[in-house]
Amino acid sequence: MAAIASAPVQTKKNYLTALKEAISEEMAGNGDMVCLGEDIGQLGGAFGVTEGLQDSFGTQRVIDMPIAEAAIIGASVGLALNGKTVMAEMQFIDFITCGFDQIVNMMATYHYRTAGEVNLPVVVRGPAGAYGGGALYHSQMNEAWFCNSPGLRVVCPSTPYDAKGLLKAALRDGNPCIFFEIKELYRRSEIAEILPEDDYIVPLGKAAVRREGTDVTLVSYGQNVYHCLQAATELEKLGVSAEVIDIRSLVPLDEETIFASLAKTNRIIVVNEAPMTCGFAGEIVSRVTTKAFDLLDAPPVRITRLDTPVPWVKPLELFVLPSVERIVQSALQTVRY
Amino acid sequence: MPLQTTTDAAELPSHDQVSDPGIRHFATKRYRDSLTKEDCLEMFRQLYLARYFDVRLIKEKKRGRLRGTLYSSHNQEAILVGSLFGLRSTDWISPIHRDMPAFFLKDAKFQWAELDRMGLSIQQVCSQVWGRVDSPGRARDNWSHIGSKEKRIIHSTSMLAGTIPVAAGVVYADRMNGGDAVVVTYNGEGSTAQGVFHEAVNFAAVHKLPVVTIIENNQWAYGTPVRLGCATPDVADRAKGFGIPGYIADGQDVFDVYDKVMSAVEFARSGQGPSIVECKTFRAYGHGDHDDDRANKYRDPAEIEHGRLRDPIAVCRQSLLDLGYISAEEAEKFIAEGKNAAEATNEDFPPEVVDYLNSGIEFALASPQPEAEEGGMWVFKESK
Repeated sequence: MAAIASAPVQTKKNYLTALKEAISEEMAGNGDMVCLGEDIGQLGGAFGVTEGLQDSFGTQRVIDMPIAEAAIIGASVGLALNGKTVMAEMQFIDFITCGFDQIVNMMATYHYRTAGEVNLPVVVRGPAGAYGGGALYHSQMNEAWFCNSPGLRVVCPSTPYDAKGLLKAALRDGNPCIFFEIKELYRRSEIAEILPEDDYIVPLGKAAVRREGTDVTLVSYGQNVYHCLQAATELEKLGVSAEVIDIRSLVPLDEETIFASLAKTNRIIVVNEAPMTCGFAGEIVSRVTTKAFDLLDAPPVRITRLDTPVPWVKPLELFVLPSVERIVQSALQTVRY
Repeated sequence: MPLQTTTDAAELPSHDQVSDPGIRHFATKRYRDSLTKEDCLEMFRQLYLARYFDVRLIKEKKRGRLRGTLYSSHNQEAILVGSLFGLRSTDWISPIHRDMPAFFLKDAKFQWAELDRMGLSIQQVCSQVWGRVDSPGRARDNWSHIGSKEKRIIHSTSMLAGTIPVAAGVVYADRMNGGDAVVVTYNGEGSTAQGVFHEAVNFAAVHKLPVVTIIENNQWAYGTPVRLGCATPDVADRAKGFGIPGYIADGQDVFDVYDKVMSAVEFARSGQGPSIVECKTFRAYGHGDHDDDRANKYRDPAEIEHGRLRDPIAVCRQSLLDLGYISAEEAEKFIAEGKNAAEATNEDFPPEVVDYLNSGIEFALASPQPEAEEGGMWVFKESK
């Protein structure tokens, strides 16, 4: 009885806790790792992702930066150039625009223009995504800009397990990475899960099949994965079997898992909450049509945000964003094509 | 015998003092006074070296042996020579487009041809200019966009002031490792209008990072005069807003540049933080060689003549004469000052200068272009 009583109680951990653990474990394991960002020290970050980090690792390794994203990214590049591994926090991923030049021209190209002499282990992470009433400048998914800048990894986890494993993988990858965290998932209790006690990573460039199905493939990432899963449940009631793929990393992209699913279903719908034009949904559809055209029995479909900013009040916001209902309707049309 | 200043004080505003004496301290001339005769003669030779590099490349371009734009450092050589001369081999630099000689002048004191020194070899620099595989960046980006992590030279992009936050990060890491390296960054006066300039210098000031920001104020940012880019009388005045020293140096006087930069460097090394050193100079030609003809139109001929009046080679020579370090006879041996590329000949330069560059050019011309497939390589570091 005593042995049972003293066994550790495994508690479920949410997405935010998973991120916190990834950062503090990497900091503990790598004395050459540095974190910098706005308000990440004593405050612990706007959302608390770095809570307690400065107490554990000191002000030299956990740096409260001025409100200056270009300096944050540029300093990260310099730290990495001189041997450090860097986690740089954007308070909101929307604010990354203020450091854009340093990301796409300085950081992304460094390995290329030095013919491999320099590699930069820098992860720029920050809260992203809509559906929370954050309005135009606290709701963006601007991943396409970075997918269009060669030299950057682009990652977007949807579960606590992946949040921790992908962040660790990104910090060890040796290449600069833009890491999109979904702030609406930070504290969502329904997705909390027990995480492995031992160190683990989720490799970049490996998609996850979240639900198996045979009639249509729903491809997504971030919080839209949950819209797809809900849609799949609805579709099942209507007699349609939907497979749901969470790509998890955009660059590199696991095409094989998508094509393997398509070989079963022959129909594909890509869902993401970024604007449609030149968005990543278009990239996936383009790869499908150019590389797996013969597998298609119906035109591929993109369900994205309208080509608008993200408006503030709820009816407006939901109007422009992908919804479960839109996915269900599209899937029904696609399977009947 | 200490060096005497040869500057006509009426020519340029407020040298020898920080822009706001209330901020920190006056430059003392103590670094200038500590230079030996050998140091002074070496700096004089390095001025010829930088000038000859410029003159020769313009000639090569005119002969059709080079592609790409040349950004001439003519008339601004004293800034490079004077600022680099006192650095330690462990220090970092980040030059930009008009600073091409900085790559081979770094850690070059008395040992130009030494390959182990903490600067690029003339062979590497020429290979870069000619777009050859022996360029340190294997000719993947053009002109001055090279560097070396090993040699502690930060690689620039075309986005001005963009290396200053990188420089700040580099020395932050160095401090974490217990080092005492200083980084010297180079920018034009036009770069100081960039947001990232202010973000980076402010960050360095807050953390007292050893970042010396040299502003080569050559009066023209491409086609825009300094009065349309900066509202303060001196660009160094920007230092006030960061709570750091701002020095003004006579950019035509290699010894004055040395003195001011060393004041800033040792201030930084001692943990007191960053500085701005504005070096007053004048851009001899256009922004790049594509702009030479236009630059003669958008700039008043009288301004150009006045701006080029005090050639850094002539200013240095006069100092050496005044000090008795060279004889009048020696002083007349190599007259390179005031001559454009078309007018200058090899006889205007010391033979060791000509030989040094020839060795670099010969090497570069024998170096192949990179294989085409390299264009697709090194986007990512391969996973372990």
